[in-house]
Amino acid sequence: MADFSIRADSVNVEDIMRQIRARVREKRGVDYTEEQIQELASVKLEKYLDPDNVRSELLQQFRKISATPDVQAEEQSLFGSSKPLVRLTRRLLRPVLKLFINPDKLIQATRFSQHVDLSYEVLHNLVLEMTRLGIEVKNLKMRVESVSSRLDFYERRARALEGLVQYRPVAAAAAPLPAAAKGGAPPPEGAREGDAQAGDARSRRRRRRRGRRGGGQPPQGGERQDAAGPAPDQPVAAEPRAAEPDTEPPRDPDAGDAAGSGRLDQ
Amino acid sequence: MKLAVVVQRYGAEINGGAELHARYVAEHLARHAEVEVVTTCASDYVTWRNEYPPGADTVHGVAVRRFPVRRERSVRTFGRLSELVFNHPHSIADELAWLESEGPTSPALVRYLAEARERFDFFIFFSYRYYHAWHGTRAVPGRALLVPTAERDSTIGLAIFRPLFQRVRALMYNSLEERDLIRAVAAAERVPGVVVGTGSAVPGDPQPERFRRKFGVTGRFAVYIGRIDANKGCAELFEFFQRYAKASSDGLTLVMVGNAILPVPDHPRIRHLGFLPDEDKFDALAAAEVLIMPSYFESLSMVALEAWALGKPVLANGRCDVLKGQCLRSNAGLFYEGYGEFVETLQTLEHTPSLVAALGVNGRSYFDRHYAWPIIERKYLAMFDRLRREPAEEVVARSSAWRLPAWRERRGRTVPAASAVVEQIPKGPSRSADA
Repeated sequence: MADFSIRADSVNVEDIMRQIRARVREKRGVDYTEEQIQELASVKLEKYLDPDNVRSELLQQFRKISATPDVQAEEQSLFGSSKPLVRLTRRLLRPVLKLFINPDKLIQATRFSQHVDLSYEVLHNLVLEMTRLGIEVKNLKMRVESVSSRLDFYERRARALEGLVQYRPVAAAAAPLPAAAKGGAPPPEGAREGDAQAGDARSRRRRRRRGRRGGGQPPQGGERQDAAGPAPDQPVAAEPRAAEPDTEPPRDPDAGDAAGSGRLDQ
Repeated sequence: MKLAVVVQRYGAEINGGAELHARYVAEHLARHAEVEVVTTCASDYVTWRNEYPPGADTVHGVAVRRFPVRRERSVRTFGRLSELVFNHPHSIADELAWLESEGPTSPALVRYLAEARERFDFFIFFSYRYYHAWHGTRAVPGRALLVPTAERDSTIGLAIFRPLFQRVRALMYNSLEERDLIRAVAAAERVPGVVVGTGSAVPGDPQPERFRRKFGVTGRFAVYIGRIDANKGCAELFEFFQRYAKASSDGLTLVMVGNAILPVPDHPRIRHLGFLPDEDKFDALAAAEVLIMPSYFESLSMVALEAWALGKPVLANGRCDVLKGQCLRSNAGLFYEGYGEFVETLQTLEHTPSLVAALGVNGRSYFDRHYAWPIIERKYLAMFDRLRREPAEEVVARSSAWRLPAWRERRGRTVPAASAVVEQIPKGPSRSADA
């Protein structure tokens, strides 16, 4: 539906009706009156719908009529008859008949009448074709409108999604850090989640290793705690710190683990 | 002041447009003057059968005097004469025979008017087209006011009505379009006239939910109120609405209220509720999204005014000049002149609630400005004052001087077909800024 800018005290029915009529005209495609549409609707489409009734030899018929007239043959057809007696009488009376009328003009008139018939048929077919094309144009217009509105929708959707992505600065900016530090390309979004989980696993392993080295002594001081990485229940904000140990050299005897950890990072 | 209201039928249960109009006017003028209603014993407008007892009566506190109708209407004769005078050249005698056949033929009523002429200050006649108005206005020269309730149909083109419009003291029009129509037909510019219309008894608190519960109507709907008849444009409405329903699967339902002369289509989105009492009718209007008025001929649609009084928009047939003019002047309704416009306007109303609300606000304001009872009463009283001040001699002389043509002239078939006369009258809504 079209939008109307409506203020309760300034509604103008004349303007609204003008807009409505414009829309009706637009939908209709051509500015026909209701009566004209009714008239068009009453045109018989049987010939068009039923191909058997369409004359296929229209062109031949035209050529035949347009060709130089064979007066002799035309006269034969004019005075001819299937009954021999009638044919004979007509042949005998032909000179008398020619005294009263000019058969040539009669033949011309017959040919002209055939021409008119054929022209009418061509005109009729043209009207039908135009009607069909008009409907097709209208359908295509509707399809274009539909595609255009879908395009609008997708554009809006794309913009909305872009806005959504820009709205996650912490998660989006923090995750690529390790890869960037190594000089590699930033990993895809799914990989970032994997990194965070891997970092978590690494800190758990590191805690286990420290526990083995320290003989089960508890960590001392905040610095130590920091070095141990975040607590398991610490949220995503601590993730960049969990990545820090990657820069540490593998000083520990369990080098295999460390190497393994490094491979995991990759 | 003593007033007589003269109308073809009268009664609390008679709901015809002009008759209801007459009753409302009589009841409201009774607060300012002594009013007597002069009418027939008929209650059916087709047969004019005598159903009320003749003599004095009282309806809602207003004195009523009834006179018998001499004979019932013969539908066949009336149809034959209508065909003759509307569609063929004919004579004045044919038109008078048509008037007799139309009825309600009550010479006793006309005699009473002639006898009571001096007892009343003014006689207010309703509906120009009937026997009582044509003969009654001749019986009370200089004291007759006419509320014509004229529509743009063939009747207005009959030659016998031209002198009727010219011989009354004043014309109380229902709309600007009616005024233009009568002036075009009868050249009645010299006759004092005012566009009055009528008010309505609109309740203050209609209950839309009560209507929905009572009739099991759910969802949004458009309503038609009135006689369901082809003459009222209902056949076209049914055709258009069924096409609209096919194209718009979740759109409005159509609720039809009124007696059906035309069969109502069996369609899941068309509900026929029959004739409803006023309370239900106003509840239905209040519950509806829009009132549809498909009629081609109206002098004033009371139901449209009632819809506006309740703040509801109207979707009218644009080929009716009166309805179209009122929609344009009030900015409270849309109109259509074909299926394309019908579906587009209906969908516009369906999908734009703010427009519906705005049209409703305008409708209410239009009703309050022009059709509230104090305004109607004031217009009548102002006209009576004016007529009392102005001399009536000229009108009396004009009325008395008018004679039917001589016997031979009366029978000459020289009068053109009434429909051809109406065709010559300019069409379209009035552009005047009055009412």
